[in-house]
Amino acid sequence: MRTRTIGLFLTMALAAACGGDDDDDSADTSDDTTDVGDDDGGSFEDQEIIVAFADNVVVPTYTVLAERAVALDDAAIALAEEVSGGGASQVAVDNTKTAWADLRKPWEQSEGFLFGPVSAQGWDPAMDSWPLNRDDLEAVLASDDVLDQAYIRDLPETQKGFHTVEYLLWGQEGTKLPEDITDREAEYLIALSEELVLITTDLSTSWTDGVDGQAAYREVFTTAGDEGNDFYPSIGSAAQEILDGMAGICNEVANGKIADPFDRRDPNLVESQYSFNSLFDFQDNIRSVLNAYTGDFELGGTQGVGLDEWVAERDPDLDARFKAEVQDAIDAIGAIPEPFREAITEPANDDLIVTAQEAIGTVQDTIEGDLSSLILQ
Amino acid sequence: MHRAGWAGFQGGALAARAAAAAVFAFTALGLLGCGDNLEAPAGPDREYRAGGDTTVDNRASSAYSFPAPNLSPDQTERHLEGDVAFEATFVTGGAPVNNGLGPLYNNSSCGRCHGRDGRGMANIGEGATSQSLVRVSLPDGEPDVPGGSVGVPGFGTQVQNHAVYGRDPEAIVSVEWRELAGEYGDGTTYSLREPRLGLLLPDGGSVDAGILTSLRQPPSVFGLGLLEAIDAATLEAWADPDDSDGDGISGRINWVWDVDRRAAEVGRFGHKANQPNLLQQAAAAYANDIGVTNPIFPDDADGSEDIAMETVEVAAFYTRTLAVPGHAPLSPAGERGEELFEDLGCGGCHRSQAITGLHELAALSDQAIQPFTDLLLHDMGEGLADGRPDFMASGSEWRTAPLWGVGLVQTVQPGSGYLHDGRARTIAEAILWHGGEAEAAADGFRQASSDDRAALLAFLGSL
Repeated sequence: MRTRTIGLFLTMALAAACGGDDDDDSADTSDDTTDVGDDDGGSFEDQEIIVAFADNVVVPTYTVLAERAVALDDAAIALAEEVSGGGASQVAVDNTKTAWADLRKPWEQSEGFLFGPVSAQGWDPAMDSWPLNRDDLEAVLASDDVLDQAYIRDLPETQKGFHTVEYLLWGQEGTKLPEDITDREAEYLIALSEELVLITTDLSTSWTDGVDGQAAYREVFTTAGDEGNDFYPSIGSAAQEILDGMAGICNEVANGKIADPFDRRDPNLVESQYSFNSLFDFQDNIRSVLNAYTGDFELGGTQGVGLDEWVAERDPDLDARFKAEVQDAIDAIGAIPEPFREAITEPANDDLIVTAQEAIGTVQDTIEGDLSSLILQ
Repeated sequence: MHRAGWAGFQGGALAARAAAAAVFAFTALGLLGCGDNLEAPAGPDREYRAGGDTTVDNRASSAYSFPAPNLSPDQTERHLEGDVAFEATFVTGGAPVNNGLGPLYNNSSCGRCHGRDGRGMANIGEGATSQSLVRVSLPDGEPDVPGGSVGVPGFGTQVQNHAVYGRDPEAIVSVEWRELAGEYGDGTTYSLREPRLGLLLPDGGSVDAGILTSLRQPPSVFGLGLLEAIDAATLEAWADPDDSDGDGISGRINWVWDVDRRAAEVGRFGHKANQPNLLQQAAAAYANDIGVTNPIFPDDADGSEDIAMETVEVAAFYTRTLAVPGHAPLSPAGERGEELFEDLGCGGCHRSQAITGLHELAALSDQAIQPFTDLLLHDMGEGLADGRPDFMASGSEWRTAPLWGVGLVQTVQPGSGYLHDGRARTIAEAILWHGGEAEAAADGFRQASSDDRAALLAFLGSL
């Protein structure tokens, strides 16, 4: 069973859609141009859209993520204080659960662009590994180890991050009571949330300023095609990056997050199952496709030019159809009854689940087909 | 469950004869049968592409992650199943899914080291997992398998520097980087960095100073099926163990132990070409890197297996069938760089063209590819030497690294390094580290004009 954090599952269609350029071809084309990348990735040359994608979608998504990690940490600290004072209140637990779900939204809406530092630095698995290693997690709780942020940093990914927080708050069956939260669990919880603050801050900084002596990734990405850019040889290759991310998350949701547990009717494979948040996760994943396409990010209040304007100018029907397909997919996921971990075991829901998978597949097909053809060829 | 190194295979008595037996075993197994392509490789008209018909044209961060486009639908389906296996994160026994991690390990899934199917990062020792690892051996003694390296008591041939909760890792590993100043012929300065490996026992005690160590950054995993499909006879023809043509470049095949055949076989995979095929490579990585025992490398103590053969096979199939990214179009500078690549002698080892032989997967057979490797061992000089022999590879020999996709390394995995231990932060630094048989080529680069250096880098960036 795969963790769904890094899975790259791009299908044949996208690969097959790409034309060949062997050395002979490239020699021919380069006679006409001094720009290394003009032909690579197609005709798309609108740098403004690449810059807008970085500034109005990626950077604000990570900014909101980092802010909401602080909010979770604050709520967790308040909860832990109550626990050490004799027992947590329902209000403190609910506040922390809400802060957790609020934090999931920008994270899931970032999964349409899992390239760059979030992947290379290992921050994705460090925050969002699934499944949990519950045996070792329980062993940590049962130990006398001092549970602080430094300790958490050295723990394996399967004992920390979003889903460990979720497990501590909701419990295995999602029915944990406030009085069941122990001192050790509260200690673990605030160490986890502090680590999430540090990682999300680093992630945000990696795009705006750079970390570990590396260039700010915003600069790397928005200068695609410039001479000396060793990462993206053309503006088209940056557009390809955006489209690959959009298609990749569709595939991941339909064929991984939904299909893996559904095909085996195995609730153990359902992510965000303790909180019953699975379907919201999936919807936010598809929203990240829309954000990447439109260049708008509602949670952050940012908007601007996007691929949608570029497409609409050339093929308004395609733009309208694609946006409708994305909305259909979000609606189809919403039509599956929560909790998803129970829905997959009830055959009466099969049609709804398959319909959602197909709706997401339609979005992916359009990205890899008509959108890629228009933008990259 | 854990198994350390190759200690389960006690074939030491055969070790001394392994080299002598190698050619016999090779011939007896009938592997010369596919050599037809050696003499027939297409004339100048044949079109070479990076990965032949497995090539995809994508210059973004997913470039290493596509299934070969010439697979059948069933094969593509199997590839995608392999993707799931490759990304599967293992956890401690008792978990409802993916149990079997460790108890000693370096990392918890294939994909955690070969992120986005690329090379990993040169990080080790910090946090809960490492992407790089340390191979170890003793200079003398009984090898674990015929002709192989001699395991170190307590470590085997690889240091597992992480452990499941409640267990101590084998050692605590640290790396410090030392900067070394240098200068191009035109006076431009540069700085290279060299790793200083620290190895301590979990209790802080020191490790025997006589142990041979070698720091390794994970290599990328695309295109490997094509390398598996190059005929051994082709490699034999390329090899020049005694430099009989006097060009200063030898090139030797590493004869390594094939666990399944129990015989010596041509080594192809790993920085010293110490693995003969992808199935054994995958099985060894499961057992040694993740501590996941399997039918090829079962548990030392009780013979148990954490995963079935099918999992090893499907993961190997995945790496066998990953597409190779096509080249970016060449600028005029890049065209000049392509000429310089040959003029400087880089192409003597980083062979730009090969024709694959017959492979059980038709998609990999008879492909005109541009791997930029000869899969042979070359002396790379003292600067890069690890002093740790591996089968027939000496302490200063390394397998020529394939350069296909090298221009996408930073796109796929920002911050990743080059060379066997990731010491080179840029392609230029990697070139400057070349010594031994590659000394002349590296000097040529060092003395070249800045325009020519930029041209060569533009060419490499297009790969």
